[in-house]
Amino acid sequence: MSKFSRKDVGAAALSFPSWAYLVFFFIIPVGLVLWYSFGYKPDLFTAHSNSILSFDRYIEALDPTFLSTFINTLQIAGLGTLICLLIGIPFAYWMAVKVPVKWRGLLVALVLVPFWTNFLVRTLGWQIMLAPEGFVSDALQNLGVIGGPIEILYTRAAVQLGVVYNYLPLMILPLFVSLDRAGASLREASRDLGGNRWRTMFHITLPLAAPGIISGCLLVFIPLMGDYITASVLGGAQGNMVGQLVANQFNSAQNWALGSAMAVMLMVFILLTVAIVGAIYLIIRAILRFNRRVLIEEPAS
Amino acid sequence: MSTAVLNDPAEKRSATTAGGPAPIHRKRRDPMAVGMAIFGVLVFCFLFLPILVIFIYSFNTGRLLAAWEGFGFDAYINAAGNQVIRGSVMTSLQAALGTAVLSTILGTLGGLALARARKKAKWAAILTGLLALTLVTPEIVDAISILPWFVSLGTDFGITPINNGMVRLVVAHTVMSIAVVTFIVRARMQGTDMALEEAAADLYATPWNRFWQITLPIAAPGILAGALMSFTLSLDNTIVSSFVQVPGNTPWPVYIFSSLRVSLRPEIAAVSTIMLLLTLVALAVVALVLRRMGESSTDIAKTIAGT
Repeated sequence: MSKFSRKDVGAAALSFPSWAYLVFFFIIPVGLVLWYSFGYKPDLFTAHSNSILSFDRYIEALDPTFLSTFINTLQIAGLGTLICLLIGIPFAYWMAVKVPVKWRGLLVALVLVPFWTNFLVRTLGWQIMLAPEGFVSDALQNLGVIGGPIEILYTRAAVQLGVVYNYLPLMILPLFVSLDRAGASLREASRDLGGNRWRTMFHITLPLAAPGIISGCLLVFIPLMGDYITASVLGGAQGNMVGQLVANQFNSAQNWALGSAMAVMLMVFILLTVAIVGAIYLIIRAILRFNRRVLIEEPAS
Repeated sequence: MSTAVLNDPAEKRSATTAGGPAPIHRKRRDPMAVGMAIFGVLVFCFLFLPILVIFIYSFNTGRLLAAWEGFGFDAYINAAGNQVIRGSVMTSLQAALGTAVLSTILGTLGGLALARARKKAKWAAILTGLLALTLVTPEIVDAISILPWFVSLGTDFGITPINNGMVRLVVAHTVMSIAVVTFIVRARMQGTDMALEEAAADLYATPWNRFWQITLPIAAPGILAGALMSFTLSLDNTIVSSFVQVPGNTPWPVYIFSSLRVSLRPEIAAVSTIMLLLTLVALAVVALVLRRMGESSTDIAKTIAGT
């Protein structure tokens, strides 16, 4: 017994540097932001004061500009996650099931290439392509597909396209891993037992891929809520995201209290989303398990 | 004609019973598989299109990136001669290297600790939660929280090293990549049983020898993947870097982001192309090392992806 606890103390000691680092450079700074959010901006030349504490900054933050930007961000993030999922599921399924095993490693590596290319540079690639004077626009006009130059850059559609592009690999990878783990043998068993393609899909493949779907959605949605780089490259003035508003309060407006309140609200929203998604997952899993139980009927006497 | 009619039902049957062990029956591919393959190729085109565009436009001889003038290597030559660009790329590479070293040390220790923790150890659960929290924290929150902290550490507390731009970049980037390394190493160690270490202990190996000869070699693929991951995360980081940077230590993505407002020149595409090629070489080397260690290609890809 004592041997076990000594081992555990050893393991805990091993994690001490991580603890210290996270407390010092993550907990304290984030705690400070929380503290700042109860303060105020005393005058034009001072960024911050905490001498009077109040929730006023939260009320101030909830003004129409912030709310509309927040809803805008939420729509872009939600729709982006959905599109990524709709593209990602068949694609990951194809990679994990249909492609011969020897090619799989190479294909995963290829999916990773955009992931390893600089985020900004990838987005710039889209900016070049979507430009009204760009080669895509010229080609489409020469082919007679469109009458005038394409007008998509600096619109919401461009931002949507950009975020789907930028976050798609983050959706594909966990989906691929979960579908790959789900295993060919179970699908084969389902087919041998007379399950057709759709039954196998909905009763075997998708439930087994559920953890991948959940983590893929979170991996896309969470960073998307805070991202404003994609939007500012492709959306211009149209692409206002919450992250940009927060950044502005610290960069140009120098109102730390207001910026902190916005950041805290963003953080709380994301944590709530994670909690809700987790709860939904657990509930669905419980229901599925309950329905899936094989009931052995008592022999009729 | 008649043979075709005769053959048809037989072929249909063999197509529906395919899925058995004999792949010969699958000669006629079903339309679903073909459709999926086409879809897969299209998605790959989508994923590679902008990268290809950047690659091509890096040979643009014009003054502006997006306005194509002609083919040439001017951008590469100009980039090599540009002091600011060279400086920012060096800053980025140094910061990435520093981040990789620091977060790999912290993450390896943390990952090993978590893999050994008792199942219900409270500290392990809290540490895991804390690391997960750093993962779900949006970059902008990291950025705005760490900047005032750096400022007060540097001025109010008199910890002057924190005023150094490079130190700031490494410290801030490590906050974001420590969780990735920790989880990769933990996943790696959980897959292996502890019997080897116990055997070494029974054979009177000192803890030090045990660590170097047993634990580290087992964890190595995970550590390597984690290091690579943190290196790239740092190299890619824009938002946090743009907040914590000190003039004179502007990293490459921040340079691009700020030139976005002025003018984008083909040099940016040229440097990005070179950096992508270097990243691919690094990836290939890591994949090769992992293969030498006996990993399968799918496992390698998964390890590198950190999943």
